[in-house]
Amino acid sequence: MSYLLLKTLGKRSTQLSRILLFSSLSSQSSNNCVSNNSLSIFHSWYNSSNRRNKGSTKNPCGSTWGVRCLSSEAAAVEATTSDGLTVEGIIAKNWNILDESENDWKSHASSIAQSIHLIKKRLKWKRLIDRLEVLSAQLNKADLWDDPVHAGKISREHGSLMNKMEDVMAIEQELVEHIDMIKLSREENDTELESESVKALLRIRRNVKEKELEALLSGEHDYCSCFIEVQAGAGGTESMDWASMVMQMYKLWAQRKGYGVSVVDEMPGEIAGIKRATIKVDGENAFGYAKSEVGVHRLVRISPFDSAKRRHTSFAAVAVTPILGDGSTRVQINESDLRVERFRSGGAGGQSVNTTESAVRITHIPTGITASCQNERSQHSNKASALAVLQSRLDQLEMARQAQMNAQHTQSLTEISWGNQIRTYVLHPYRMVKDLRTNYEVSDPDSVLEGDLDDFILSFLSTSLDKDEE
Amino acid sequence: MRLSFIRPISCCAVSSSPSTSFKPQTPLFLRPPTFKTTLSDLKKWHLWAKSLASSVSSTFLKLDNGPNSELLLRELNWLIEDTIETPKSFFQETINPVSTRVCLDELYNLWKQRVEKRRPFQYIVGCEHWRDLVLSVEEGVLIPRPETELIVDLVDDVIKENEELKEGLWADLGTGSGALAIGIARVLGSDGRVIATDLSPVATAVASYNVQRYDLEEKVHVKQGSWFEPLRDDEGEFVGLVSNPPYIPSKEIGGLQAEVGRHEPRLALDGGESGMNDLIHLCDGAVSMLKPGGFFAFETNGDEQSKFLVHYIETKKQGNFSKVKMVSDFAGIKRFITGFRGR
Repeated sequence: MSYLLLKTLGKRSTQLSRILLFSSLSSQSSNNCVSNNSLSIFHSWYNSSNRRNKGSTKNPCGSTWGVRCLSSEAAAVEATTSDGLTVEGIIAKNWNILDESENDWKSHASSIAQSIHLIKKRLKWKRLIDRLEVLSAQLNKADLWDDPVHAGKISREHGSLMNKMEDVMAIEQELVEHIDMIKLSREENDTELESESVKALLRIRRNVKEKELEALLSGEHDYCSCFIEVQAGAGGTESMDWASMVMQMYKLWAQRKGYGVSVVDEMPGEIAGIKRATIKVDGENAFGYAKSEVGVHRLVRISPFDSAKRRHTSFAAVAVTPILGDGSTRVQINESDLRVERFRSGGAGGQSVNTTESAVRITHIPTGITASCQNERSQHSNKASALAVLQSRLDQLEMARQAQMNAQHTQSLTEISWGNQIRTYVLHPYRMVKDLRTNYEVSDPDSVLEGDLDDFILSFLSTSLDKDEE
Repeated sequence: MRLSFIRPISCCAVSSSPSTSFKPQTPLFLRPPTFKTTLSDLKKWHLWAKSLASSVSSTFLKLDNGPNSELLLRELNWLIEDTIETPKSFFQETINPVSTRVCLDELYNLWKQRVEKRRPFQYIVGCEHWRDLVLSVEEGVLIPRPETELIVDLVDDVIKENEELKEGLWADLGTGSGALAIGIARVLGSDGRVIATDLSPVATAVASYNVQRYDLEEKVHVKQGSWFEPLRDDEGEFVGLVSNPPYIPSKEIGGLQAEVGRHEPRLALDGGESGMNDLIHLCDGAVSMLKPGGFFAFETNGDEQSKFLVHYIETKKQGNFSKVKMVSDFAGIKRFITGFRGR
């Protein structure tokens, strides 16, 4: 689309036109509208900023402003070069992908096109476009804002999906523009311009590789912080020791990633290890990564707790719940549905007892779900922390319930509840960690237990997203 | 009507401002980190402190329901949190030397006191985390208990539906560290005020310090004197009374957990032969102090005292109060009695 614009502005001003185009795209993305030609993009940007100034939010995407809401038709307008080459076309050409250091534009272009393809797959492109169409239709309804909460939710989701879509389309556009520039500069023997464009392609190639990773975390709650809970399986001290090793692995992993880690709840075993524990992992995309760890983790080793030095197999279960931001719809908790108990309260209490132990357990009576916290220094803070865990568990339960109702999300159900066995850690008779879902394996269990988990997480995320053909 | 404590108090039979001779201690966590200790020396101390804590095992627990090793180890972490400028870097061993708020000798000394003398952890660090507050405490002042936090919730509940209570004058009798007065002042409306009283000059000095730390001098006025005596000027003006008075029967004081019996002020614990001397005095006095419709909440030793007091109010104070009831703490013990002055 902007090729026309480019022609009209003259060939030397590509960069400028591109900058203009993208600045208009990005300023406009917050308004949840996009149109299908560059001029109307400026038009809609102008309109929407006007609208913002007037402060009117009723019907934010209506036709009254002469702005066309995005639907699948806009996405169907494919980016093409002047001689009709599309991104899919580039892939079909099967140009060799050489090392980045090779100054070969076809190699760069091919790599970029592959990345775009992968990103689209990970974003579930077709589903995303369909969803956008549904959302746009809802945004166009006159009575939408009668229910502001619902309207807010729709408009937020629309905005976030639109951002993702525009991001990809912007890269496609850049790609074809630079290919055009290269062809043009060759025709006119402008080597300076050619090398500039090849450099630009290289920059896009690197940038889009990063976006491949980002696209792995495109789930609705992936950006959230989360709680990670580890529970020892049957098998006494050996499995409680294993549970504490697993918990330690997550603490170290989270620290490596620069996340904040705090222990919310910990029930130590009698001799060693933990019966269960919950940590809070604070930071961007913590849930998106950690959700890959949900399931049962199996350990095979010679138990240090067995005087006969026999080989033992133990299990630890891992659950991960997102801590939803304020923007999300959260389950309303009725104070009267809660039972708060102090645990390990011995004796008379009150003035007769001085203890720094002020752990509480909260039970949500209608669902029977409980949460506890004992690591804060006041009962009030322990209660607040436990309530946050409870909220997160109830939110998750609600998400699972909604997913069940919504067939297209059934798959995410297994991702968020206690899953099946996902990974085996063997320390004896050989040494190996193997993920049963992806078959990814390494022969150095120590580094994994020290928190080197990213390869397992990324391979799981990409396997689960990439296998799913549209 | 807007009450303000800034107005001069013209005549008052009892000393109205806390004794100026007593200067409260600064909690450890607020002291400047002026001491430097090498990482290895500090690690040596930490190892020693851990092994001292571990040696306790469950001896104290069996002896008098005192802390076990697990609890002491957690307190040790909190001590590190309060005394080392960057506790995280200490655990990760990334900074050397380490800046601390007390010298190394004092760290040895403090932890020895904690374990060997059973000195309460809150006196060691000079503060208690209570609700969302960090209150300064020291010897001579009762360390506020977690159960007592609930009184603030009870007050919060009654003022939610009652503007008069929300914007009126409250009293916290026997305030100690000022916990209840501060907790309540923070939930009251902009016109709400609290008068906090205590017989002990140490308590009034510490309470004033805490009030100041939370910037509540305009809302909370601390007065020294016995129970209602400092409140005579405002008799009948109070919309709410709260108190956590001494309620342990005298004969039980000797058998208390060492942290309590050996270190906390008897004045704040001993409630006379039945433990209810002061509670009964409070119930009697509440009649004339409270406005019609005013609310009271008192903490008791548990089921037995609560039942007795409810019965006492219903028979001896017939017609003066309404909706008198017992409220349980999180351990299920009937810890509080609450009610309203009849209209």
